[in-house]
Amino acid sequence: MWHFTVLIVLLRDRERFLREIRQGVKIKNKIAALLISSAIFLAIYGAIIGAYQSWLQVLASAVKLPALYLITLVICFPTLYFFNVLFGSVQSLEQQFALLLTAVSITSVLLFSFAPVTIFFLATINSYQWFLLLNVTIFAITGFIGIYFLYQAMKPVLIPTINVTDGERDADAAADEVNSVTDPDSDSKKVRTKILQFWLGLYAFVGSQLGWTLRPFFGAPGQPFELFREREGNFYLAVVKAIGHILF
Amino acid sequence: MQPDLNRLKIGEEELERLSGLEINDVFMDDVCRPSIVHSSKKLFSFFLTQFFWFGLVCIFVLPTGFIIAQNFINLSKNIFTILKITLVISVIIVLAWNFYTWVKGKQITSLANLLDEVDKYNETVEAVDVLNRLTAVGSTDVNLVEREKVIEVLSVTRDSLVSALMVERILRQHKGLISRRHQLLTHIENNLSTLTGLEVNRQASEYGQLVNDALSIGISVQQEMQNLQS
Repeated sequence: MWHFTVLIVLLRDRERFLREIRQGVKIKNKIAALLISSAIFLAIYGAIIGAYQSWLQVLASAVKLPALYLITLVICFPTLYFFNVLFGSVQSLEQQFALLLTAVSITSVLLFSFAPVTIFFLATINSYQWFLLLNVTIFAITGFIGIYFLYQAMKPVLIPTINVTDGERDADAAADEVNSVTDPDSDSKKVRTKILQFWLGLYAFVGSQLGWTLRPFFGAPGQPFELFREREGNFYLAVVKAIGHILF
Repeated sequence: MQPDLNRLKIGEEELERLSGLEINDVFMDDVCRPSIVHSSKKLFSFFLTQFFWFGLVCIFVLPTGFIIAQNFINLSKNIFTILKITLVISVIIVLAWNFYTWVKGKQITSLANLLDEVDKYNETVEAVDVLNRLTAVGSTDVNLVEREKVIEVLSVTRDSLVSALMVERILRQHKGLISRRHQLLTHIENNLSTLTGLEVNRQASEYGQLVNDALSIGISVQQEMQNLQS
C-alpha cells in the first residue's frame, strides 16, 4: 500500500514533498501514488453521494467523480505547461503534473474526510435539494482549499530562489523581495503567476462544465436510474435553481 | 543497527542514484522486478497496483467513451454495448502497457539481477547485525576478530555491487564502448580475488556462512558483468 504512504507524506510534510518534486525525486512514483490514492478517495465519496438514489447510481458516481477531477486536470494541464514553458519555466512536464496532482489529492482527502458528515445527512434528511446544496458546499470548500494549496505549491516554482526551509522568513515577503531586488527575470515570473491565476479559473470553468456533462452524480429520488442526462442549461443556473427551491 | 553496518547497507536512494531509475521492492521505474514471484507480499502488491491501474484506466475511458457515444447514438438503447466496448478498450490499454513494460524489462534484465544481489547483500548485512545483537546479550559466542573480517568482506562486496551498477547504467545509457567500463570491470574482478583470498573460518562459524553468502554475491556480480560484456 505504498500509494497511501506517499499521500501521507504529502499531508504530514508538504514542504518536503514539494521540495522533492522540485528536485525530481521519485516523480513517477509520486504521480502514480497520487493518481491512484486520489481516484480511490474520490470514488468512495462518489459512491456515498450516489447512495442517495440506487446501487446503480453508487457505481456510476464512483466512476464519475474521480473522472470529473482527473479528466479536467488532463484537459487543462497542457495549457498550463506550455504557457509556463513559453514564459521561462524550467520545470519538467512530470514535475508540473505532480504539483497539480497534489492539489487534487488534497481535495480528495478533504472530501473523504467529509464522508461521515455526508453519510450522516444522507441517513437523516429526506430533501434532495438540501442534500444537493450540502454537497455543492462541501465540493466548493474542498475545491477552494485544494486550489489554495496548489497556488502555494506553484509559487516556489515561479520564484525558485526562495529558501523553503527557512521557517523564520515569510514566504510572501521573501518572494516580493526576491522579485523586486535580486531577480533579473521577475517580469517572466509575474507573467507566469498571472498564467497560474488564469489557469485556475480555466480549471474551475472546465470542471464545472464537465461536471454538468457527466451528471447526474446524485440521482433524483423516485426517478429511474440515468447514466447521463440530456445536455441542457449549465452548472451555475442549476445552483441558482437549487437555492431557489430551498428558499421559496 | 551499528554505524559501520548501517554505512554498508545500500539504500533505495543510493540505488536510484547509481541506476538512474526509480527503484522499490516491486518496480524498477515502470518495469516489474522478476524477483517478485518469490515473495507473496510483493506479488500481492504488484497485482494490487495492476488492479488500481485498471480502475484508473476505466475512470478515464468509461465516461469519455459514453460522452463521445452520446453524440452519435441513443445511449439508453445501447448502454450495455457501449459499456462492453469501453471495458474492452480499458483492458486493451492495460495489456498494451504491460506489454510495453515487459519489452522494456527485457532490456534491463541485468539490472534486475543486480538488484536481487543487492537485496541478498542487504539481508546479509542485517544478518550480521542480528548476530551482533545476539552476541551483545550473550546468547551466542562469536569471535570478534571474525566480525572484522566479515565487515571487510561485505565492504568489498558492496564495492563490487556499486561498480557493477555503474557499469550496467553506462552500458544501458550509452550502449557503446566506454573506456570507464573496462576500468570498472577490472575493479570488480580484483574485488572478487580479494574476497576469495580473505581468510575466515568459513565452515565452522555463523560469520563463516555470511562470508560464503557475500562471496556468492560477488561471484554472481562477476557473472552478470561477463553477460553484459558479451
